[in-house]
Amino acid sequence: MSKIYIVEDDRSIREELAELLRNSGYEAECLMDFANSRAEVLSAKADLILMDINIPNLNGEQLLKEIRKETDTPVIMVTSRTFETDEVLSMSYGADDYITKPYNPTILLLRISAVLKRSAATASVQTYNGLQVNDAKGSLSDGGREMTLTKNEMIIFRFMLDRKGSIVTRDELMTALWDNDEFVNDNALTVNISRLRSKLAELGCEEAVETRKKQGYILR
Amino acid sequence: MKLWDYLKDRLWFFFIAAVSLGLMLLFLTAFRVSGQLTATICVIFGFFLIAEETAGFLRKKRFYDDMQGKLDGLDKKYLIHEMLKKPSFLDGQILFDALCEANKSMCENVAEYKRTADDFREFIEMWVHEIKLPVASLQLMAHNHSDELGEKFQEQLRRIDGYTDQVLYYARSENAEKDYIIKETPLRRTVANVALKNRESAQLCGAFIETEGLDLSVMTDGKWLEFMLGQLMANSLKYTVEGREPVIRISAEELPDRVLLHFRDNGTGIPEADLPRIFDKSFTGENGRSYAKSTGMGLYIVRSLCERLGHSITASSVKGEYTEFTIAFAKNQFYKMI
Repeated sequence: MSKIYIVEDDRSIREELAELLRNSGYEAECLMDFANSRAEVLSAKADLILMDINIPNLNGEQLLKEIRKETDTPVIMVTSRTFETDEVLSMSYGADDYITKPYNPTILLLRISAVLKRSAATASVQTYNGLQVNDAKGSLSDGGREMTLTKNEMIIFRFMLDRKGSIVTRDELMTALWDNDEFVNDNALTVNISRLRSKLAELGCEEAVETRKKQGYILR
Repeated sequence: MKLWDYLKDRLWFFFIAAVSLGLMLLFLTAFRVSGQLTATICVIFGFFLIAEETAGFLRKKRFYDDMQGKLDGLDKKYLIHEMLKKPSFLDGQILFDALCEANKSMCENVAEYKRTADDFREFIEMWVHEIKLPVASLQLMAHNHSDELGEKFQEQLRRIDGYTDQVLYYARSENAEKDYIIKETPLRRTVANVALKNRESAQLCGAFIETEGLDLSVMTDGKWLEFMLGQLMANSLKYTVEGREPVIRISAEELPDRVLLHFRDNGTGIPEADLPRIFDKSFTGENGRSYAKSTGMGLYIVRSLCERLGHSITASSVKGEYTEFTIAFAKNQFYKMI
């Protein structure tokens, strides 16, 4: 379970954010003592840090600069300031991503998992039910047969695979697709899911994607 | 300054001179002064008159002609006193001092307004960043405790966010200070961010978003461009034609000296009579009246931001068919070389 450290001085956002992360299967810890922000952040040994810019004492950008001297833990800057300068500065100090408040929670989660995946760096060949998932080729194979997925199908499959066993809403799938420049509509999503189903069935995984009425889908 | 105007202005003086000459002649005749002496006195008097008037005219002409010439050439006319030399004659000096005095007072007055405006803008900027915290907080709450209401709340929160952004960018567009940075911005990322932000409203009306040729980078401020495209997209999603599938087409093309970004929809279009005025402040037009209520600020802000960034924006439309906005980004050879 990845541990995410939240640096945020607004109590209400901090608590909701922690809840969101816990609900999504992450371990969440918050910075409480802003006077020692640097030491606290470093001692937390998190896998990823969510950092606000407007925080007491050292601001987020300075804190990031300090942290970068010690460790290269991934950092996502989250801020309500919409200045291009802030983004450029944060990126130059070594932030891995930059998100402005208010944000769509699903997008935040997508960005977190993307950054974590990037930092894990080990191109782990993921498997699903004995199928090898090849991201680079965009295909699934069971050793012998190989099934090529379209870009959309791959995005959907990846998203569900990361949340295997829990409900994925259509809205979340939509966000994942749009986040990858695939501006599909509702019908297209339905078509993509049924194609993905039949491709999985051809590889021997019948009933892999289960539909939950009015809730979404589950990858079994 | 024309001689004739000057002479007309000096009419009183000539009248008094004529009266004194008449009196003098009367007395000279009364004292039986010889005709030759009278003639000499008249000549001297005449000489004095001409010499005095010529000198006075030339002195004033030099100063006032200089002033008028400079005034015509200046684009900031209130700076005129900085350009003038203090004249040598009294009334000119008084005028010159008065000009300086008036100008100083005006500068103080303007500075005070500027300070007030700056303070206000700073406050707006700060306020917008503050209001985004509760909005972010509510959005997280709506997501965490999602039931049927969650999505409805999200929708309203997005509206709040949209309106606060409008205020923020209005304040920024009206201000003379430079608070943007121009750097190479990939169009694909910017367009994707805008699409992502408007995904829910786009899906609500079943809109298609098509893109083409967006693998270009332009010199602009990414955040500002995102806001501008967001405004255009909000309009496109608002003014749709009933029974026609809304399609928004965003494409870019590269020309030798600039990059054009086309933003085209197949919505209601803009009546020809309204088209020249859509970028005007508070202009709502036919669409603004007959469709959803409109503030007439969105496109005005978009154009102001474009002007500040040095882009140009144009619109073309056929009513009932389409609206197309085109933003032209200049290419900077200097940056390319680095």
